[in-house]
Amino acid sequence: MLRIKNVHKSFGKNEVLKGIDLSIDKGDVVVILGASGSGKTTLLRCINFLEKADQGKASFGEVDLDLHQAGKKEIQSVRKKLGFVFQNYNLFHNKTALENVTLGLTVGRKMPREMAEEIGRKALNKVGLSDRYDYYPQQLSGGQQQRVGIARAVALNPDIILFDEPTSALDPELIGEVLGVMKKIAREGTTMLVVTHEMSFAQDVANRVIFMDQGVIVEEGSPREIFSNPKEERTKQFLRRILPEYTYTI
Amino acid sequence: MLDYEFLLDDFFIALSGVPITLLVTLISLGVSIPVGFIFAIFRLDKSRFWNKIIGVYVSFVRGTPMIVQIFIVYSSIPVLLKSFFVLLQWDTDIYKLNPIWYAFIVFSLNSIAILSEIFRSALIAVHREQLEAAYSVGLSTFQAYREIIIPQLLVVAMPNLCNATTNLIKATSLGYAMSLQEITLRAKVAANANYNYVEAYIAIFLVYLLLCSLVEYGFKHYEKKLRFYKFGTA
Repeated sequence: MLRIKNVHKSFGKNEVLKGIDLSIDKGDVVVILGASGSGKTTLLRCINFLEKADQGKASFGEVDLDLHQAGKKEIQSVRKKLGFVFQNYNLFHNKTALENVTLGLTVGRKMPREMAEEIGRKALNKVGLSDRYDYYPQQLSGGQQQRVGIARAVALNPDIILFDEPTSALDPELIGEVLGVMKKIAREGTTMLVVTHEMSFAQDVANRVIFMDQGVIVEEGSPREIFSNPKEERTKQFLRRILPEYTYTI
Repeated sequence: MLDYEFLLDDFFIALSGVPITLLVTLISLGVSIPVGFIFAIFRLDKSRFWNKIIGVYVSFVRGTPMIVQIFIVYSSIPVLLKSFFVLLQWDTDIYKLNPIWYAFIVFSLNSIAILSEIFRSALIAVHREQLEAAYSVGLSTFQAYREIIIPQLLVVAMPNLCNATTNLIKATSLGYAMSLQEITLRAKVAANANYNYVEAYIAIFLVYLLLCSLVEYGFKHYEKKLRFYKFGTA
């Protein structure tokens, strides 16, 4: 469904991505792990063209394009196939929860308002916010905002939803509600590419785990392979550092 | 002692200049809001070349007194236009042109620079992440600006826009230097006959105060409406 090849990206002299290959099939839940600065977020942003890769090819379904040279039209059509959930929610401040969810439908896809609101309400119900349609982002807690963010991506019915550290900006007691929602939509068969530090989510929900370090993919495999039997020394070191902290369960 | 009768008369004479003052203000804002906005976007998004050019223009406007800008436009444009008309063999007497046209040009050129800076700071305040969010749901840049960026940007820019507008209203009083028939000129000319200048200045003072207070009230009211989505912040 999504294949990317040889993605390179530098910020000035700092080479953040050094040739990443990745493929995702329908129904996959792929979790990318890695220390801060390993290039996880940049990879996600390059896939959605929020950053322009220096080099790289991608194919979305049957559409092939160049991650460096794609034109405006191509970019917009690819973005319509992808959902994106941001670390700091990035809800539209001047829109209600429901408007946030429907804007991509009514304006981006020219869908009639009633139809879009029907879909939007369903998406908000799914993330447990049926009583918050008309609230503005500023009236919602962080966890609620992020759930609206997820509903906004889900409502567009994208081929893949990209999650960029969706729980990193949340208070610990609010992480559970967001992970719960993510788990739920994963079980419904949504294809997901998730950058996260939540090991429990990777272990319970992912069918593939990728470990990145210093701009390359060091190791990938099933959660069982990665967590109980990592082959690479760098993966072992990372897990040793991170696993004592892993106390959260959903 | 003050001549209260003249003060009252002159107050109304000054008031009769309000339409000209407002016309110059509105035309200047009408020109400079879109152009200033485009300049601000150019400075943030486009090449270093445009950033430099517009930067120099802004520095020029900010770094010279308004009255000097007026003299430059008022004395150079007729000369330029005249040689241009001679070239085309048009028989127009450029010196009969109503000074209000020069006022439109000077105050528009000035406001473009001021407003481009106001919009630039407001764009920096809302820009990046909200734009990315709009892209992520499949909006085009134009749609993102219309739905998300501009409504939020106006809230941020409103206090500064109010400031710029009242400054512009007051700056039009310098139009007397090119015999623009606005508030100050009318009230002062009326005072010439009997040297009632103190009364004239008080009348002018009151008219500007009234005008600017109304504008300020209008902006505050409008800003409140635009802030509908902000809660618990002043």
